[in-house]
Amino acid sequence: MSYLYIYDNFLSAKKYQSSLYKIENRLVDLGIKGKVVRLNVLKNMNEVVEDGIKADITTVVVIGDDLSFSKIINIIAKKDLVLGIIPVNNKSKFAKILGVPPAHQACEILAQRIIKEVDLGMVGHYYFIDSATITNEETTVKFGSYNASPSSKQNIVSFNNLNVLSELNIDNKFNPTDGQLELVIQNTDVLLTKNKSTTILPFTKVSVECQQPGAFIVIDQITKLKPPTTVQIAPNKLKVIVGAQRMF
Amino acid sequence: MFKEENPAKDIKTADTVIGASVKVEGDFNSDHDIIIEGSVSGNVKTKNNLKIGKNSKVKAEISAKNAFIAGTVTGNVVVQDKLHVTSDAEIKGNITASLIMVELGAKLNGQCRITPTPEALNNNSLPKKE
Repeated sequence: MSYLYIYDNFLSAKKYQSSLYKIENRLVDLGIKGKVVRLNVLKNMNEVVEDGIKADITTVVVIGDDLSFSKIINIIAKKDLVLGIIPVNNKSKFAKILGVPPAHQACEILAQRIIKEVDLGMVGHYYFIDSATITNEETTVKFGSYNASPSSKQNIVSFNNLNVLSELNIDNKFNPTDGQLELVIQNTDVLLTKNKSTTILPFTKVSVECQQPGAFIVIDQITKLKPPTTVQIAPNKLKVIVGAQRMF
Repeated sequence: MFKEENPAKDIKTADTVIGASVKVEGDFNSDHDIIIEGSVSGNVKTKNNLKIGKNSKVKAEISAKNAFIAGTVTGNVVVQDKLHVTSDAEIKGNITASLIMVELGAKLNGQCRITPTPEALNNNSLPKKE
């Protein structure tokens, strides 16, 4: 079993040095050290993983934040690799969902190596782990036998696998192992009656159309794609190392 | 006395919720509980419970196991077990169910048909004859 550790760009800042030393020492203690690559303007994640595959790595561990983890999803999903994450602080929502504690404490979880297969969502050919969102009142979502569309202005139309990154005002956390995604449509200016203004429709595949020419879908708060497009589930697409405190 | 035990009345959350700001058109089928607070036209069919909220507008043929209707429905309603029609409800269409409760003030425009199931006959939730 060989590990590739990818440090995201922003970790080159001095304030992360002591935290990174602790992580590196703990990995050595646990006997799971591996090749370390620090990303910079000249080295992107995709190239690093491709090089790792040539060197027979089996597990890619990303050290960073939620945006770092979301970036790696699209690279890992197409390969037969296991993903591990080490969040550098306790703000990572993905880490909480996966039951991974912050900084050097995450090394214990990596060493225990509990691997779960989780679903991913797909917008066109682009994978997402959390959600894809459109803020547009002229959106139509076409299911097999019916269509759903917001009937008033200022609606968020969100396709969810987890729902930790989106700006939706709902308590639901969706299950990323249930083989389906959830469409959530919520009126942004109705906070007091959130339950009555929130639509939740489970699906496996839909097509999305927008009447407004400038509309786009924001994927995991990183990438933007233009409709029309399809949104569908990619079941059990990602192998990820999780902790016992995971939320699914 | 009519013993109130309609599971559709007490749905607080469901896998499928059509909110007040959404319009759904077409054939809507589900195996799970459905809550409708918005507008639906076409057909609505569930093998479980259906709750239609106060301000919702449904133009559809409806089929459900149990149903609680407080909004406006245009179309026939077929319920396998229990149907509760509140005082705010307005139904333009025929209703069929094993047990029907209609609150004072509800507007019904259509035929009403009771079709008791063996389960309904065996339990004590039917009104007792004086």
